[in-house]
Amino acid sequence: MLSGRNINYRRFGLQAAFWFVLTLLLMTVLLNFVNLSNTNQLSAYDDDWDDMSAFRADLKDAGIKTSSLVSSPLLLADIEDPRNTTYIVAGVERDTLSLPQFDEDGFITIAADDGYSPSEIDAIVEFVEAGGTALVLEDYGFAGTIAEAFGVRYTGYQLYDTTYVPELDYNFIWMCVQATPCGMNGSAIDQSTVSVHNRWSGNLGEGEHPCSILDGQSMDLEDAGLCTQHWNAGEIQYNATYQVLLNDITALELIPGVRGALPEVSVRAVTSNEATVDVNGDGEIWVGNEQNSETPDLWGQFNLSFEACARSTCDPNDGGRIVFMADGSALINAMYDYEGFNEGKYGPTNKTIPENDNRKWAMDFIAEALMSTEADEVGQPSETAMVIFDESRHPQNALLADSYNTIYFLLVYFTGEGLAMLLLFLVLFVTFEAVLLKKRDPEPWRHVFSIIYYGFGDANRYTYYAKSDKIRQVFLSKVRNQNGLNREEFHAMPAKDLVSLINDPVLAKFAIEPSKYSLEQTVAVVKRIKAWGRT
Amino acid sequence: MWTRKASFTFTGGIALVLIGMMISNLQMMILGLTFVAFIVVNSWISGHGEVEVQRTLSADNLYKGDDLYVELLVTNRSNRNTQLLEVYDNIPHEMKLRSGLNQMRLNLKPGESARIRYVLRCPLRGHYSIGPVSLRSRNTFNLSVDEMYVDHHSDIVIFPQIKEVEEAFLRSRTPKMYTGATTLRTPGQGSEFYSLREYVPGDPFKNINWKAFARTGELMVNEKCRDAVTDLYLLLDSRDIARIGTVLKNPLEMGTVSAASLAAFFLKRRDSVALAIFDEKLSYLPPDTGDKQYFKILSALAGVSPKGSMPLQAVTNSLSGRFSRGSPVFIISSCEGDGTVPAAVRDLVGRGHEVTVLSPSSIDFERLVSRIPRMSYEVLKLERQNRLTTLAGSGAQVIDWMPDMDLSQALMQVRGY
Repeated sequence: MLSGRNINYRRFGLQAAFWFVLTLLLMTVLLNFVNLSNTNQLSAYDDDWDDMSAFRADLKDAGIKTSSLVSSPLLLADIEDPRNTTYIVAGVERDTLSLPQFDEDGFITIAADDGYSPSEIDAIVEFVEAGGTALVLEDYGFAGTIAEAFGVRYTGYQLYDTTYVPELDYNFIWMCVQATPCGMNGSAIDQSTVSVHNRWSGNLGEGEHPCSILDGQSMDLEDAGLCTQHWNAGEIQYNATYQVLLNDITALELIPGVRGALPEVSVRAVTSNEATVDVNGDGEIWVGNEQNSETPDLWGQFNLSFEACARSTCDPNDGGRIVFMADGSALINAMYDYEGFNEGKYGPTNKTIPENDNRKWAMDFIAEALMSTEADEVGQPSETAMVIFDESRHPQNALLADSYNTIYFLLVYFTGEGLAMLLLFLVLFVTFEAVLLKKRDPEPWRHVFSIIYYGFGDANRYTYYAKSDKIRQVFLSKVRNQNGLNREEFHAMPAKDLVSLINDPVLAKFAIEPSKYSLEQTVAVVKRIKAWGRT
Repeated sequence: MWTRKASFTFTGGIALVLIGMMISNLQMMILGLTFVAFIVVNSWISGHGEVEVQRTLSADNLYKGDDLYVELLVTNRSNRNTQLLEVYDNIPHEMKLRSGLNQMRLNLKPGESARIRYVLRCPLRGHYSIGPVSLRSRNTFNLSVDEMYVDHHSDIVIFPQIKEVEEAFLRSRTPKMYTGATTLRTPGQGSEFYSLREYVPGDPFKNINWKAFARTGELMVNEKCRDAVTDLYLLLDSRDIARIGTVLKNPLEMGTVSAASLAAFFLKRRDSVALAIFDEKLSYLPPDTGDKQYFKILSALAGVSPKGSMPLQAVTNSLSGRFSRGSPVFIISSCEGDGTVPAAVRDLVGRGHEVTVLSPSSIDFERLVSRIPRMSYEVLKLERQNRLTTLAGSGAQVIDWMPDMDLSQALMQVRGY
């Protein structure tokens, strides 16, 4: 009784332990996919101060279709009109799933801690090569692999510059999009140092930007289309200077000796000559003439933006282009829509974001990429214009949305990645074979009458019964039985009497003189024994 | 459960969807989705097997070789059509389907019934069970199959065949052997005439011999010979060695036939018959008369199977004390592989029993299934002859029963030993 109770306790204990471990495992897995803390940011589909809903709203107002890419950039391969599509990566907050795939050398590799897998990078590169436009806003995240594909590298160290916003803090830095650095005049940018980049100004000082065509034209705000940011007092007043406000930035640099996917890589914005980079990340700047353990940090001029183009003109009609900026937050609502932010549209704030050209810069970027090339549609987006926001590397706050994204990612992986497609083909083939071979319909019922049965004896004894000793024994038994003798009497009988009882010289010799007999002799003897005693 | 067709369609659908995604072919994806949707929709439409079955047999007990008439009534008790429903009545593989079919495909409406009739031939004795009834319901497109069964069984017993045993033969060939079964020359209850005597008060009027009364003028009554009823003991060897041969011809099978036939013969003559079956253990049915005993003996013989190796002497030692004095004992055994047989027979004969050994020739049964070298066979036969001679020398009647020999024929050999 006691032992039975112990067994019960043990069983319940084991079951409880099993369910506990199972729950723990499930929770561990699920917590990776359920974002309970709602910490997502830099999403075009959320309207917090650190999201990009204002930018997306402007795009929609301009008549541009926006969509999100929640699974994988592999889907960029399916874009029908890359020329009129802009792909925007803003702040890559998490890594890709590490799955086996072919690398560029054709070997199987497993991408790890790279943000984007090689095939995803390939998809982005192919998209740009096919005429697409891409904008990568990143600082310390996982988008470095995209930049490296184009010969550019994010240093990953925090950058400080003298062109910061004193009203805020040294993390808010001005970026003047021009060939030469701009300077400060007290607490503001010295306007005399602000110029235009020859990327948009041309040799004669005329803008190459498509909005520059409308410069000076009078029109209603509704008709300004993608050049609304230049509309002022009933006309387009094109201005190619940009004072872009950045926050908590890093630096960009060209990778020496590396030729990227696009041949024309140019610097679009730089820091002042007095910028510093906190290489060791200790929050303090120690710089010297040379970098050593005493002065590990760097100072000087650093790059804040690169543009890689298929042609030197960077004209979208001549090929794709990609722009890298050293800040992932350049387009967040707080800075992009600074007026709304200061008014408390995105929640109460005690900061006042200064006036900036982030909106103008971003919309000019979009205008250049997506403006229609039709003569009668100047200023308007092309019919198929689309902006794709990469949300695949942003945690989602909807319940199980990440799980859905992960499943979708796997689906895209298996239908877009070469190795996975190969595997999928193999799996499908094997599945088909398995179905063909293993899946059997129930057999038709049929009564089988079966009474086949054989009861075999001991076949080993057959050889024993063919031996002369055994035959002799059987014969002597027969003699004894025929003469009604018991064993004792028979054994006591003299050989002479036995011979006379047998009354057959051959059999008598066989019975009395054990010797070797050939097969023929044995057969003859057995025949004689059989006939013996019948008469 | 999905059928192969359904599995193939579903796998094909999934494959088309995935390949369609790979090559960005929308038509292929739609076709794949159509396949998958077809399977999904079909899984909602299924038949059922909620039916009631009732089986009727022409008899519960039969003799080996008889025909059994079976009728299965299937009724749909639910409120839905069964759709395509296969009904299969499971029958033992030892039974042969003589006419009709033990299965049917039905589509029964609510409350509707169907009958399945078939005839079975039962070539082997034994205890059998017909059932359960297997059901297999399929949906319209044969995409899913569900199997179930109704746990409905019907038990039947197939008795060994009863062979005719010649009464005259037994009497003439074995005079005085069956003392109980032959008429004793003493007056008493019986059927044969014994003598006339004078009427005494109390004699039944039906016994008055009216012709003698007319002739002599005195009331005379007929006296009858007393029919003495005695006990007959059948000892059946069901050891493992008795299985040698084919399914229809082996020492045990012939032994059960002979035991059943002898029991039938003697029970018909109002003798008491006892049956002892020895295999790995001893099963003993005490002597009794009548139909009930007949049924008991046949039932016991129906369930006999070869196993064990109990020696005969253990049986006789155990039972000889219970044997009626001088009663006949039939030993049905091949006498193979048991060195105690001569001693056991001697013991029985010594106790005054009329012992008859009916011995199926196991070496000849073995020859039906094994290629025995000629010389070995001859020596084995010689050894068997020696054994039987020894038994005959002990005072038993010995019958060497060959496989192709009828029971009556075999019993005629009694005089030979």
